[in-house]
Amino acid sequence: MSAPWQRNGVIVDDSFAEAFPMKATRILITGHTREWARHAAVAATGLATSVIGCGCEAGIERELAPAQTPDGRPGFAVLLFAMSGKELAKQLERRVGQCVLTCPTTAVFSGIDDGEAIALGRNLRFFGDGWQISKLIDGVRYWRVPVMDGEFVAQESTAVVKGVGGGNLLLLCRDTDSALAVATAAVRAMQALPNVVMPFPGGVVRSGSKVGSKYAALSASTNDSFCPSLFGLVAHSELTPETRCVMEIVIDGLSEADVGAAMRAGMHAGIAIGAAGGLLRIAAGNYGGKLGPFHFHLHKLLGDGGPP
Amino acid sequence: MSGWRLTLRQLPVLRVDLRGITPAALAGLSTAEVERLPLGCGNASLPLAEFFAVARHGDDALAFDGDLSRFDRLGWQMAGGRIQVEGSVGHYAGGCMSAGELVVKGHAGLLAACEMAGGTLTIEGNADDFAAGTLPGSMDGMRGGLLVVKGNAGTRFGDRMRRGTALVFGDAGDFLASRLVAGTIAVGGRVGAHAGYGMRRGSVIFANAELLPTQLATFVPALASADVFWQLLARDLAGRGAPFAGLASRPTERYLGDLGAGGKGELIFVR
Repeated sequence: MSAPWQRNGVIVDDSFAEAFPMKATRILITGHTREWARHAAVAATGLATSVIGCGCEAGIERELAPAQTPDGRPGFAVLLFAMSGKELAKQLERRVGQCVLTCPTTAVFSGIDDGEAIALGRNLRFFGDGWQISKLIDGVRYWRVPVMDGEFVAQESTAVVKGVGGGNLLLLCRDTDSALAVATAAVRAMQALPNVVMPFPGGVVRSGSKVGSKYAALSASTNDSFCPSLFGLVAHSELTPETRCVMEIVIDGLSEADVGAAMRAGMHAGIAIGAAGGLLRIAAGNYGGKLGPFHFHLHKLLGDGGPP
Repeated sequence: MSGWRLTLRQLPVLRVDLRGITPAALAGLSTAEVERLPLGCGNASLPLAEFFAVARHGDDALAFDGDLSRFDRLGWQMAGGRIQVEGSVGHYAGGCMSAGELVVKGHAGLLAACEMAGGTLTIEGNADDFAAGTLPGSMDGMRGGLLVVKGNAGTRFGDRMRRGTALVFGDAGDFLASRLVAGTIAVGGRVGAHAGYGMRRGSVIFANAELLPTQLATFVPALASADVFWQLLARDLAGRGAPFAGLASRPTERYLGDLGAGGKGELIFVR
């Protein structure tokens, strides 16, 4: 580790976040009102924080104005990430089937044009019990499935693209209040960017993990090096006595550049708050660079464009 | 350039079959070879030069000049490229075409776009009966692509049509969308009797709902709206021409049927 590299009093580690290739897709969920579109988007991206236990990672990418949606209604863009195209297709069908098809007034469309097609409405149409209707409009096939509020319209398929999952920042802060403020500001800055989602609750994860466990059945366990409650107890703690609270932000994006841009925006937001606001250090999680092909070096991300 | 201009010398006495005269077939030929291409005329086969003066021209299109109303099967099985006709054409124009663009500045005869599977056929004038329909004895009519009739259409427009979009800017005759299997038909003007007779699926849009067909005995009014679908379709139609501009912002009334054929089709009247 080189000498501490500081911005606005915040130490930025000479380290990198290690990320992995994933399969990704974007869907657009619209509704009669913003509220109902949001209900569906929130439900469809629920229990989707980590592929470890959820099958996929998902989040709301951004809100869409009526002029930005295919049917002229308010909506939300949702990104989903999984470790394989097959798993992504399974998760997509299950989530759209249970959370969008069921939600009053909603419709669902593909948000990505190019890539291998996976079913969106193709299989859900059978809910129509023979009354479903296919419509081909301007070369795009839609399914109209009769439901009790009218009809559920779903584009036949969406596209799978290569994505990047697991970009991350560790925000080492003075206390809980400052950690929440810094993490919230960082997430907000990242949410302003396209093509990324932060899949954990509020975009923030407090249970950062390390690979392995003392229990053979577990593949991951608490990241004890960053647990303030274990400072002084574990030999390899990364913390200092002033660091009482650590938050992590995990970023999934459609490309390496998107994840990098989000990490950069998050760091800038944190650094703007600075040490005076309670952010003491920014670190990143990696596995020594041996597992993931994408390495996001914090110093490189800040580069010339970073704040002094 | 590889385009050709074929100028009609004089109106033939008998009908002439233009099948095989497509941009792809003419590509790479010399002028002499094009002039020798055989055309069926009555029970004879005559060289193309008997009917047309052949010349190369500046763009890639195959252009016809003159009144071709006695020339049938123009653009028959066309699979790409562009044909433009500066006059009217005979029967079967664009029949079985699968890709490319065919533009007719005048009128078209019977069975235009019959069993068309892809591409775009634009008829600036009127289309005679059975446009977008099926060849006699065949089960399915138009099965893909876009047909635009900027004038009026005759009877049985879209008979047995299965897929694709067929638009009539003006009026349509009796039995519009008869036995429609699926697909989309939109009409900007008046419509004759028995629209949607025996239709199984598909959507027929009446952009001028003041002119309701009077006989809807085998259709039922739809209680539920289909707003999402309508917005998708209306926005697509809006770019097709004046009678369909602004459809998305107008209220609609839907009827479902034909109940005698399963009832999964719909007639949409735009207010």
